[in-house]
Amino acid sequence: MKLEIGKFFVKDIVFGTKTGYDKGVLTIDREEALAVVKEDSHITEAELHIVKPGDEVRLVPVKEAIEMRCKVSGGAMYPGVTNPVSPVGSGRTHALKDAALLVVGKHWGSFQDGLIDMSGEYRRHTIYGSMKNLVLVGDTDEEFERHEQQKTNHALRWAGHRLAEYVGKCVAALEPEEIETWELDAVNRRDSKVQALPSVVYVLQPQTQMEAMGYNTLIYGWDGNHIIPTFMHPNEILDGAVVSGSFMPVSSKISTYEHCNNPMVKRLMKEHGKTVNFLGVIMSNLNVAMDQKVRSAFMVAQMAKNLGADGAIVAEEGYGNPDVDYVQTLVELEKVGVKTVGMANECTGRDGASQPLVALDPAANALVSTGNVSQYFELPPMKTVLGELQSMARDGLSGGWEGCVRPDGSLVMENNAMFCSDHPSGYSLKTCVDY
Amino acid sequence: MLKAIQYINQFFGQVGGEDMADYEPEIREGAVGCAQIFNSLAKDVQVTHTIICGDNFMASRTEEAVARIMKFLEGKEFGIFIAGPAFNAGRYGNACGQIALEVKKRYDVPVITSMNEENPGVELFHKEMYIFRGGSRATSMKKDMEAMVAFAEKIAKGEKLQPASVEGYFPRGVRHQVFMSDLGMQPVMAADRAFDMLLKKLKGEPYQTELPMPKLDRVPIAPAVKDLRKVRLALVSSGGIVPSDNPDRIQSCSATKWGKYDISKLDKLTAPEYKTIHAGYDPEQADKNPNVVLPLDAIRTYQKEGRLGEVDEFFYTTVGTGTTQGEASRMGKEIAAVLHKRNVEAVVLTAT
Repeated sequence: MKLEIGKFFVKDIVFGTKTGYDKGVLTIDREEALAVVKEDSHITEAELHIVKPGDEVRLVPVKEAIEMRCKVSGGAMYPGVTNPVSPVGSGRTHALKDAALLVVGKHWGSFQDGLIDMSGEYRRHTIYGSMKNLVLVGDTDEEFERHEQQKTNHALRWAGHRLAEYVGKCVAALEPEEIETWELDAVNRRDSKVQALPSVVYVLQPQTQMEAMGYNTLIYGWDGNHIIPTFMHPNEILDGAVVSGSFMPVSSKISTYEHCNNPMVKRLMKEHGKTVNFLGVIMSNLNVAMDQKVRSAFMVAQMAKNLGADGAIVAEEGYGNPDVDYVQTLVELEKVGVKTVGMANECTGRDGASQPLVALDPAANALVSTGNVSQYFELPPMKTVLGELQSMARDGLSGGWEGCVRPDGSLVMENNAMFCSDHPSGYSLKTCVDY
Repeated sequence: MLKAIQYINQFFGQVGGEDMADYEPEIREGAVGCAQIFNSLAKDVQVTHTIICGDNFMASRTEEAVARIMKFLEGKEFGIFIAGPAFNAGRYGNACGQIALEVKKRYDVPVITSMNEENPGVELFHKEMYIFRGGSRATSMKKDMEAMVAFAEKIAKGEKLQPASVEGYFPRGVRHQVFMSDLGMQPVMAADRAFDMLLKKLKGEPYQTELPMPKLDRVPIAPAVKDLRKVRLALVSSGGIVPSDNPDRIQSCSATKWGKYDISKLDKLTAPEYKTIHAGYDPEQADKNPNVVLPLDAIRTYQKEGRLGEVDEFFYTTVGTGTTQGEASRMGKEIAAVLHKRNVEAVVLTAT
């Protein structure tokens, strides 16, 4: 399977009369873009903003981050979600780089929403603080969940995916500034030099623990709670087959932007044929009941073993309860002789003295730690807030609580609500250390 | 200038060797014995008083020794407490740990000591204080003292304290996140760290996990209750079931509070009077019928059938999602103490 990603490096985003891209400047026709958002009649209010690194802007409640891109050939963006199901991972995709579309609630937040600062000490806590962002701020008539802590955020998230594709389409016919090619032959059709290298798989455990539908990670539009682990080509991940959910406390979240740019997949692809034989991705899930957790762990181990894997990197989109799935999967892989490295964040408490993972096992002896959800932050006031600051205190965001927002606009919070900050996709520049 | 008080044993206080190990605790003005080395190395911290105590006295008459030393400290002005270094001397290490811990509790000042990794005092006290990695014998006195002095000076100047491995003390069971660049390290993305670690592991080369497995804190399962008709039973849950107005405002995530609510007049929990506030699972079923999380209906049925004896008048509840092990353990102890007072001998503990 061969996928070309044509890249357009965004240096600036401006509003203008026609959506288009020229020499690094992305222009957005606000009216036309908002019309795409409002194709869904459940969107009651929508506005667009542009934020850049250094702007004195705080965004909260941020619900999703999406790369603005489009399929030029070989399928459709977000198949099974905002477009009919079609295979992806081959052909040509054009993407606007160094930029993202951020989806923000105008008023109402939920458990999985988070905060981004575009300047100050906390800007570096999430990759989106270093990017040029188009921001959709909106509200909906989804009354059934307005005052619920758990929200599907369906209308706004889907509006984001439509809008990201709409903007992405402005570079469909243009010549990319750079083309990145991702190619991987069928597992049993590789030359002997590649076969001689240690074989590795990437095991992704996206967040899928809501039993009710509408909250979990989607794979080709299919709820990840309803799968047993399955084998995927890395290109499918990089080409929009996976859409982020609306449940996980946000520092542990993998946004749709990060699925499409998954740095772990990219590193393994780059090393393929040089240091390793990258077999592909085992798409697993995270579960609620113990038999479900164990079933998925067994199946991942079985699949890895029978694909001939010598090594596996396991990444968990979550913390707390799903640590059980994560550690169990590492244990089962080690049991069948597949050497593992795990990648996840920790929850050690504000004093740092709590057990870092809910489940522990001596077999989990090679772990990368991407952050601590309970790290305590004190944020100074910010000149402009997009969204509503009080949502952090009022709406049950995982790292906020009643009274955490002060009248002067400063706030205290736990890392738990810093948007995607632990980046279990692999972007994290943080680790955890002993004191 | 930060004032320090230092605790040392009879040998390093130049009182005498093993024959003087029963030497009574005393406090002297200024730096005595090896405390002089501390003062000669330090600029912003100075030892103003030295406490000397025989190792045997401390080991055999601990309570008395601690009490007498605490009396010495009354009214003294100090901002930091130093003990040892104790090298691999077991009794001395234990003495340093005991005294430093008591000082920390009473005066809430930083306490620093130094021991060799073989010293049993490390295992006993590493979670309570900064214990620097010291040599096994007194020949490393200068080096060990330097490490303590360097750290004490940082505290005196209010400098940012670095992780255990950088500073050189034994990890205290405390973990925090840190940007690699803040540790002066080249920042490397987690994906690249993971790949590099896997490659080393595949090649059989040494690698360093970022999360060394802590010692497992397993609670043994209690023996089965012989006759449920003869014990008083209570319902406890981390499933977040509360009276609908959540009177104690227990948090939906990362809980630090628990509640206790009267069920003596109820045959079952009814909706909407009771609901779950737990944010970590789909609340639909529990909100419809709270008994699926806190099984009062089944318990009452068993009682009517004569299979159960007494049931406590209250149920006890908190939220288990995102709740740290430390908070969970504290709340567990608090609930257990209440249950104990109420003569509860068996608990049905439901999670989610």
